Amino acid sequence: MADATGYLDRFADVSARIGNQVHLRSLRDGFATIMPLFILAGVAALFNNVVFTWIWGPSGLMPSADVLGWAQYWGGALSNGTLNISAILLCGMIGYCLAQNKRFDNPIACVVIAVSALAVLMPQTVAAAVAPASQLFEEGKSITTPVSGAFTTGYTGTAGLFSAIIVGLLATTVFIKISGVDRLRIKMPEGVPPAVGKSFDVLIPMILSLGAFGLVAMILFAIPAHTDLTAIINEFIQTPLRALTTNVWGLVIIYSIGTFLFTLGIHQTTINGVLVEPILTIVLLNNTALYNAGKAIPMANFMNMDIINVFALMGGSGCTLALLIATFIMGRYRPSKEVAKMAVLPGLFNINEPVIYGYPIVFNIPLMIPFVLNTALGIVISYFATVIGLISPCVIQVPWTCPIVFSGALATGGDLRASVLQVLLLALYTVIYLPFMKASEKSLQKQAELAEQAEQG
Amino acid sequence: MKKILLCCNAGMSTSLLVQKMQKEAASRDLDVDIEARPLNEAMDHVDEAAIILLGPQIGYTKADFERAVEGRDIPVEVIPMIEYGRMNAAKILDDVQAKIG
Repeated sequence: MADATGYLDRFADVSARIGNQVHLRSLRDGFATIMPLFILAGVAALFNNVVFTWIWGPSGLMPSADVLGWAQYWGGALSNGTLNISAILLCGMIGYCLAQNKRFDNPIACVVIAVSALAVLMPQTVAAAVAPASQLFEEGKSITTPVSGAFTTGYTGTAGLFSAIIVGLLATTVFIKISGVDRLRIKMPEGVPPAVGKSFDVLIPMILSLGAFGLVAMILFAIPAHTDLTAIINEFIQTPLRALTTNVWGLVIIYSIGTFLFTLGIHQTTINGVLVEPILTIVLLNNTALYNAGKAIPMANFMNMDIINVFALMGGSGCTLALLIATFIMGRYRPSKEVAKMAVLPGLFNINEPVIYGYPIVFNIPLMIPFVLNTALGIVISYFATVIGLISPCVIQVPWTCPIVFSGALATGGDLRASVLQVLLLALYTVIYLPFMKASEKSLQKQAELAEQAEQG
Repeated sequence: MKKILLCCNAGMSTSLLVQKMQKEAASRDLDVDIEARPLNEAMDHVDEAAIILLGPQIGYTKADFERAVEGRDIPVEVIPMIEYGRMNAAKILDDVQAKIG
């Protein structure tokens, strides 16, 4: 037994260290800083596609193509300012967060470097389709022509997020490394204001690191393939990684490991937040962009961050809201009931540390089983419900603190069937928790009695 | 004025605990300042603290914090899981008072 405990402790410790690895943590922090923009993009998409069409659409209350077009310009503008520059924003934020986490004294310079490096690595021309009005246009043939002086949202938007992560981490790391080389510093004589010296401190490292990225861009352009770093990253890293993390069974395994960790007291986001959440979020943001453009969502994008946050983690990891309901229905053990009362309000907003540590779930063998099982079930059921068309695909990022019923409808662009599914799932989770909850009460009571005897003995 | 530095992962549930501890400290007329910081910030503020309390989710960082305050009289404690989960501010403050008087 002592062996097993030692082993579990080591497992928990190693996991926590992975989750707090500086690059992975910076990636998580970077995403967190721009989350509000993604939420806004979702709200704008919802207005454009549901509210405005309901009022001014062809079969709306007051059909008017003109007014609809003007109204939807608002959502389009917001989408431009959020989703379509998300790669640029994320790249800069990752630069900043990595600098902070590495305790580098000039994080702002890292934002500059990261964003600039991303643009350096973008193609210098954009392929544009020739307009039917042009003399070059031939019927039945699609002809493209390279246009300079443009960045494409294919690189600055959600499709460029993955390479933004890599470039942001890489550029910042290179810059911090070069900045640390003392011999590259320009020494100012006494009497020159220190701020002047500081402006020179970053000059040479910036020139060297950006120059190096320029070389990479040049080499990739010069080889016969005429490619660029983002295209390479998308092809060889993002595609396989995405296939792995958006596969329903792969995700069930990863999340089960995460929730099992939580039963040992280590937060599940420590692992999931850095290993799969970034990619699942990217898929969801792709969906928001597609939804906003009025395009269909491909099946490969059905598995995304919302499936997890909206259906599989109701009331927090392990869907502990259901445990609280089970406790209110059939709970007889006073300390657990007290915790349940206190934990219900945070639980409605999917915050459940009070349940994890206070009920407790941690090291409580009977409850560890449904805790892991429910999250896995939630992923599988909600994913296949999307596949067979019972609910619309998730297209809008909802904050993970959004209460259930609301979150289902919001995530799916106003599909009330998703809210119904949430309620049904909650009922299922509660039924699953009930017998384990009774077993947990028995064992907690026994433990309490033993502890009392030990004190008296 | 002594500062109690609470440190946790992201701060959602810890913010609730801080609220309860501040109420409790006020009712006992303690001259303490209780503040919560996420892990990546907390390290920069260890010098100001009279005691450092870590949330159970990040108990594994105890050794790192102890290294950061080495040679100074700043105790580093991990809040027991049950006390943290049940938001038992009174019990946690009792322990703090026993440590730093």
